[in-house]
Amino acid sequence: MLALDNIHVNYGAIVALRGVSLNVRENELVALIGANGAGKSTALSTIAGVLKPAGGTIIFQGESIAGLAPEKIIRRGIAMIPETREIFSGLTVMENLLLGGYIRKDTVEFKRDLERMIDLFPILGERLNQAADTLSGGEQQQLAIARALMSHPKLLMLDEPSLGLAPTLVNHVFKLVARLHAEGMTILLVEQNVNQTLKICDRVYLLKMGQVAAQGLPENLREHVDVESVYLGDRIDAQ
Amino acid sequence: MSFGSFLQFLIDTLSLGSLYALMALGMVIVYGILRLVNFAYGEYIMVAGYTLFLLSQSPVPWLIMALLSVLAAVGASYLTERVAFRPVREQTVTAMLITSFAVSTLYQNAALLFISPRAKLVPLPDIFSKSIVFAGLVVPLRNILAIIVTFALLGFFALLLKRTIIGIALRAAADKFTMTRMLGIPANLVIGAAFAIHGLLAGVVALFWFGRIGSVTPGIGLAPLLVAFIATVIGGMRSLLGAVVGGYVLALINVAFNNLLTQNFLEYRDAFTFSLVILILLLRPEGLVRAR
Amino acid sequence: MKDKPASTATRSHIITLLILLLPLIIIAAVTKLIGNVLFERVVITLFINLILVLGLQAFMGNSGILSFAHIGFMGIGAYASVLFSMAPQMKKLALPDLPLWLGHLQLPFLPSILIGAIIAALIAAVVSFPLMRLSDASAVITSFALLVVIHTILVHWKTVTNGPQTLFGVDRYTHLETSMCWAFIFIALAYWFKESSIGLQLRASRDEREAASTIGVNIILVRWQGFILSAFMAGLGGGLWAHFITSFSPKAFWLKETFVILSMLVIGGPNSVSGAVVGALLVTGAFEGLRGLENQINIAQILPVQLIGLTEIVLSLTMIVILIKRPLGIMGGREFR
Repeated sequence: MLALDNIHVNYGAIVALRGVSLNVRENELVALIGANGAGKSTALSTIAGVLKPAGGTIIFQGESIAGLAPEKIIRRGIAMIPETREIFSGLTVMENLLLGGYIRKDTVEFKRDLERMIDLFPILGERLNQAADTLSGGEQQQLAIARALMSHPKLLMLDEPSLGLAPTLVNHVFKLVARLHAEGMTILLVEQNVNQTLKICDRVYLLKMGQVAAQGLPENLREHVDVESVYLGDRIDAQ
Repeated sequence: MSFGSFLQFLIDTLSLGSLYALMALGMVIVYGILRLVNFAYGEYIMVAGYTLFLLSQSPVPWLIMALLSVLAAVGASYLTERVAFRPVREQTVTAMLITSFAVSTLYQNAALLFISPRAKLVPLPDIFSKSIVFAGLVVPLRNILAIIVTFALLGFFALLLKRTIIGIALRAAADKFTMTRMLGIPANLVIGAAFAIHGLLAGVVALFWFGRIGSVTPGIGLAPLLVAFIATVIGGMRSLLGAVVGGYVLALINVAFNNLLTQNFLEYRDAFTFSLVILILLLRPEGLVRAR
Repeated sequence: MKDKPASTATRSHIITLLILLLPLIIIAAVTKLIGNVLFERVVITLFINLILVLGLQAFMGNSGILSFAHIGFMGIGAYASVLFSMAPQMKKLALPDLPLWLGHLQLPFLPSILIGAIIAALIAAVVSFPLMRLSDASAVITSFALLVVIHTILVHWKTVTNGPQTLFGVDRYTHLETSMCWAFIFIALAYWFKESSIGLQLRASRDEREAASTIGVNIILVRWQGFILSAFMAGLGGGLWAHFITSFSPKAFWLKETFVILSMLVIGGPNSVSGAVVGALLVTGAFEGLRGLENQINIAQILPVQLIGLTEIVLSLTMIVILIKRPLGIMGGREFR
């Protein structure tokens, strides 16, 4: 469904990705793990069109999408939830969801989608007319996910959805991702929480210094990650 | 202070503040999304003024002239965005600011070259020169009109921003521009709409601005530009509501200065208000109204 | 950074400076040979413009922050230097309300323009320090506000500036040789500053702001140092200009002049001293040429109307095209070498 081939990305003089190749098949939950600065978020931003690759190809459903503007990428069916969630703070929950469904012009469908989101996230239903910046961190994360789902993506990309959440909420987020996956959603997940991620994903890529260091099934990579964990741990502590 | 002079003060402040508020609002609507303070903003007022002047010989009623001149301001604003700002948008903010300064110079000198360095009379409707006597005060009708039109426009924009999808998208883009693009809202649509509103507000202000001064010159845009700068800084550069508040506060300060200060001090009024601008940006960069 | 041995680096700096100075020496020599007064005025204008552009480059080019206050400091340097250089009997006529000690004082030309430049630099040092933490639009609005404040004071402080009226009776001290020598000194100074450790840190803060502060660059301090140097150069340029033009009013230090000097830096390329020199050369040439053309057409009455503003239209269009097509200007941030 999605295939990155030899993608290079630079920030000014700094090289962020050096030849990353990876693919995601339909209905798969693929995880990207690695230390801070390994290039995971950069990879997602590049797929989403926020960053322009300096080289390489990105094929989505048989068509090249590398270098397309973000507003074009979402129309191809790729939605991304950034690490910082990027909730529109002055807007109400309802208005955030409304913009989430911007590319779907049908009002009848919008109503149905809205009901589904309220079903998935009952707390949002209670706060529809509340300003989004009055929500708690966990509620904001739910809103970010709901807003992305409103566009009916074929591929959902989540960047560190569990970041900054209390442990119970972390479990909640992982359950939710697993549930979306079980319902047939194709997902590309970036996570620092390696143990939980390996439990729910189909395949894993380990990124290291802007390159794919290892890939495979979670059980195979677990050993690899254990070897790497010293390094991973060091890096995370050092940050 | 007697009731009469208080009322006079109030009407002066409200009518002047209404123009300032519209100016500031137009400035902030673009700043919020692009972080651009557009130096060419005042030139859209000039464009509206010259459109009125060029139409003054034509037989069309004034209201049509006014409409056309507002449209000319909208057109100038939108055109500037398409031709000059869009190609430099991906560069630094400094590059955009320099571009807007160059565009401002371009418009002014085009007016010098193609029209005239001399002041040109702008046609005004009779209603602008009429006054009403109210509670012992002589109040120019155009001041009342400015207040009414401003309130109506502000109400209209409040509705637009709250109730339409493009309005909601504009507010979202002012908060997190990249995210609105990631949801599929085209950058050019949002920015185009912002520049159209930018020009529209300049055009409406122009009608009342020329209603006060009666003629247009190539350099006419500077004074309203300075007003927009100060008012947006006072109100907070990232808040639409703040811009409106800033406009009225600036008018309050100016009218109060005019009434309180002697001529010697009044000469230095710009020095005072711009020192205030520097102090606000240093000490309270979010202005009176925090962005939400 | 390229790891060159020190001697090679020094040699390359000297080559750059020579390439920059040589055409200017030739221009000055040719001007002397021709002996045409009008042409000489154009060349002196060129050298003074060059000094102003170099001053703007020192701050804006290295820091990446647009400063509108520059021409304000030029104005301060112009008025301040004249207060010291003008003959007492002339002061009685032109500025009768001066305090007695200043009214009686007269210094030679060189100390006068140096004092003018130092006053500009001191004022810049005092007012600008808190402004240096602002970037982008806030920095532009504050520097613009500073220009308005300086301008308002120049227009209304009648005692020392003769108010909005023209200040007359300034002696002509700035000649071809004077302006050329100062231009050379400032080319070297601007180049030295850019390559100095302060300049290096300033450029780092321009290109990679976060990275620069993490490696311990005190961004506010280096910006401040750049701003003071920039104001000093503007002040000295103002002093030279005042003693060249000999009568002027505060109008000269306002948005028009700001635009012309800024266009030189933008067109030449703000990130290098070579860019500043190329911009000053090209734009002064084009400006004076177009002005001459405008005047010729107006005098000959070829057109039914007066031709005004053509020069600025050409300049602003060029500037916009450069900003779109070649954002780093003609020199693209490089030096000649």
